[in-house]
Amino acid sequence: MLENIASALVILFEPMRLLALCAGMLAGMMFGMLPGLGGVAAVSILLPFIYLMDSYSGLAMLLGAISVIYTADTITSVLLGAPGSPASAPTAIEGHALARQGKASLALGVGFLASMIGGLFGALILSVAIPIAGPLVLALGTPELFMFALVGLCFAASMVGKDIAVGLATACFGILLGVVGAAPAAANYRFTFGQPYLMDGLSLPIVALGLFAVAELIGMVASGGGIAGKQMPLGKWGESFREFWRHRWLVVRSSIIGIFGGFVPAVGASASTWIAYGHAISSTKDKRRFGKGEIRGIASSEGANNATIISDLVPTMLFSVPGGPAAAIFLGALFSFGFYPGPRMVSETPDLMYMIVWSVALASVMGAIICFAVTPYLARLTRINFSLIAAPLLLIMVAGAYQGTQTFGDILALLVLGIIGWLMKNANWPRAPVLVGFVLATPMEQYFWLTTQIHGVTWLTRPGVLVIASLIVIPMLLGLVRKLRRRRASTAGSPSADHSPPGDSDESPRDSTILLITAGLMVVAFAYASHEMMGFRSNARLMPAMGIVPGVLLSLYILGRQLYRLRRDGKVIHLDSRQQLPVLGGILAYGAAMWLVGFSLATPLLLAWLLLRCAGMRLGSAALYGLIVYVAAQGLFILMRITPPSGTLFTLPMPW
Amino acid sequence: MFAHTTLTHAFTLKALSIAVLVAAGGSVAGPAMSDDFYEGKTIEMVVPFGEGGATYVAAQFLRPFLEKHLPGNPRVDVQTRPGGGSILGANWFEQNAEPDGETILFTTSSTSNPYVLDMEEVEYDLAAMRPAYSLPFGAVIYVSPNTGIDSPAGLREPDMPLIYGGIAAAASDLPTLLAFELLDLEIQAVLGFDGRGPARLAFERGETNIDFQFTPAYMSQVVDMVEAGSAVPIMTGGSVGDDGVLSERDTAFPDYPSVHEVYEELYGEAPSGVEWDAYQSIGAATFNYGLTAYLPEGTPDEILDIFEETIAAINDDPEYQEQSMDAIGGYSLLPASEVTESLREALQPSDEVREHLRTLLAEEYDVDF
Repeated sequence: MLENIASALVILFEPMRLLALCAGMLAGMMFGMLPGLGGVAAVSILLPFIYLMDSYSGLAMLLGAISVIYTADTITSVLLGAPGSPASAPTAIEGHALARQGKASLALGVGFLASMIGGLFGALILSVAIPIAGPLVLALGTPELFMFALVGLCFAASMVGKDIAVGLATACFGILLGVVGAAPAAANYRFTFGQPYLMDGLSLPIVALGLFAVAELIGMVASGGGIAGKQMPLGKWGESFREFWRHRWLVVRSSIIGIFGGFVPAVGASASTWIAYGHAISSTKDKRRFGKGEIRGIASSEGANNATIISDLVPTMLFSVPGGPAAAIFLGALFSFGFYPGPRMVSETPDLMYMIVWSVALASVMGAIICFAVTPYLARLTRINFSLIAAPLLLIMVAGAYQGTQTFGDILALLVLGIIGWLMKNANWPRAPVLVGFVLATPMEQYFWLTTQIHGVTWLTRPGVLVIASLIVIPMLLGLVRKLRRRRASTAGSPSADHSPPGDSDESPRDSTILLITAGLMVVAFAYASHEMMGFRSNARLMPAMGIVPGVLLSLYILGRQLYRLRRDGKVIHLDSRQQLPVLGGILAYGAAMWLVGFSLATPLLLAWLLLRCAGMRLGSAALYGLIVYVAAQGLFILMRITPPSGTLFTLPMPW
Repeated sequence: MFAHTTLTHAFTLKALSIAVLVAAGGSVAGPAMSDDFYEGKTIEMVVPFGEGGATYVAAQFLRPFLEKHLPGNPRVDVQTRPGGGSILGANWFEQNAEPDGETILFTTSSTSNPYVLDMEEVEYDLAAMRPAYSLPFGAVIYVSPNTGIDSPAGLREPDMPLIYGGIAAAASDLPTLLAFELLDLEIQAVLGFDGRGPARLAFERGETNIDFQFTPAYMSQVVDMVEAGSAVPIMTGGSVGDDGVLSERDTAFPDYPSVHEVYEELYGEAPSGVEWDAYQSIGAATFNYGLTAYLPEGTPDEILDIFEETIAAINDDPEYQEQSMDAIGGYSLLPASEVTESLREALQPSDEVREHLRTLLAEEYDVDF
């Protein structure tokens, strides 16, 4: 074994292969940093190129990209507040809050280091795939997979925020989004409106982009100025190393959670990140800072998501069952090079296995180092007028969304979810629960259905199920005990949000009009959904009902509460959402223009509007900058080997 | 595994030489006009699934051989257009592809089943398109030794209830479910798995005890299990014989009986009637013509002749013969002359068969049309 470990290193240290690994890392870092593009985009863009190389180089290139994505997207999440990939949503919440407090370097440093540890743990588990990881994967039956998803949901529920009714309603809305498409239990298509686009359900990158990135973008363009409002000092790295060391065991525990996440197909990175985040909350005594910049939140979620994407490779290599989308593409690459994943491949080609382990380990460490090196330069971007960054960012998001199915449905979904995200942001409703409900709805439904079909009710007594269930029950009991003890200690009123008068409980200002509209729309959406749900077959109705029934009640309650407050206070608060309307309108107009005349013609119009109107650039520099952005965007489409959206009326012919 | 490969290889070579003879005969009559038809051109091969899937891998495997053997050595670009269980990509192809031989749809029964079932979302007319070539995509049905089954006859008297894990009745599980239906077997079908891989994992964990895998996955995953005694192969879907009936043994697995044979063994007569017709229609499109390259409706005969010759040349290429064993189970490509007619028949079953399929799916498997 030792000699294989050494010979694998020799294999990898051939200049060509190292170069491929580095090229993969660069691509992975770039795409990790661009909001919404993430791992799948990086790997699928690299895929055609690997056919030009020998098998080890090609695989090293893909591994380089896979290993650094969740390290690099920390930068976007912290600086922009828009998660670089869905599994980084907790980082975006905590890290961006820290960045606004001028502690970006702390958030980034801990994030990079935790990602690195997660990657190294992933490499470790890969190296013991046959004796340890394989049996673990086989030990996880469908009941255990179901419990894993359930634990993810429960832990995520712990972060719904202060206004519990709103938090739960948004989680229900996430479930509603998640059940769109084919039902796993009965061959029912739900909420597809006869559109084949919706048959596979909404895609995770588009939901994450729409809810977070579009809304952030609109807000920032409208407010003008840089991302941080004022100059954002990075701070010193030293503190981040100390903080990382203080929370090292949390990072280790989160990485282990992440490893298990990789063993669970479909639930994967998103669930394990939330579970790790939930674990961080439940293992922290003072929970008040969560949501407002808690470093433990970043340490846990970054440790987990990087461990997951790498331990995804275990089921891929041992059983040729990919744990996530990036692993699925890697699997295809293995096939193409004539490697047929299975226990035999792992035991008969140890060089390949250890080459993979080394690539992952090396890329994880180097990725973190490079991230430390480039961050100071990227941080300067946050001082530039955001309209300048918004233009390329929006085009990247369009390209990222469009690679989903390459139909206009992708753009439409992005815009509709963008409006929803914008409404929720201005109503000050949390958006993370939507993402959690969305991600976990399908696997929960699927595994619950499979479990009850295969095992009847006996699954409840399986040891694995009991062990995982104890993960929910024990922290809950501990929390209860702690609460009781505290109550006994201080009978004097604690500053609990529930007891303060309702009118003053809104700590952050809300736009009452937007709030009213959002609540109204929720009521309509849930009411319509419950109407359509009646037509589903009973097997296909269970999971939607779990989201829709409480959703109807909660949204009615929220709407009623809001109307009551409006009447009582007799005043309508308007905030800056109104100023954002023109920007929202402009982006919607861009979508409409794309539908009519295609990307190639609509984009110059968008650029002219963003650069001249919003950023106030002079004609000459705007033309030059716009041209660069435009060419880069077209180049991105060529690189991804897809044709940009074409118009229904007219399409500008392109010279290529 | 090894004995297996050599056996199959020998068989494939035989099948191959026949195919070559047939094709060579055809090409003499064909026009010799197009020595450089594809020179400087790019062929876009549309795969309506994601990167890394079985269809994508097969397309990438065939790509260099097409580039090498098509006259004029065009560039072949594999384009993925996933979504709607392949319906989105096929719809796009119907609406956008020109009949100039430069755009090909390379797809599986995931595209043909919704067409046969006449589903609402389908906007493509698959039977009107012109198949350029097919690659068989066989499958083996196997059971767990705990069931006590060691031969097809045992399927009717298992030691324990049989549980089958699948994806969805209207997807690639359809032929297997139809085979169970045809053979009148007591099997509980648990549908809702993410793919054949997760379904196989459930088999390995003992959660299910009857499963099937397509040839590439069977070769890389199940053959080892068979050797270790943790899986018992029972039958294959079969392949289409000269008479157009799905009765022959799968060329990759000549040791295992086809569903047709198993029926004969169990019931003493050849299967017939609407249940057989349904299995034959769906089974042929899933297994024998498992991966088919379609050219748009109205593609001229010259282009099809070019492909006819090219496919013969690829089958003849020793490199193809060597590599196809591992990559795709050692099947040789079927040229259009062998595909067109029976595939069209399979895609256009009688109204009775279609009605049978729709009723069965709606009543037994909760499919909503």
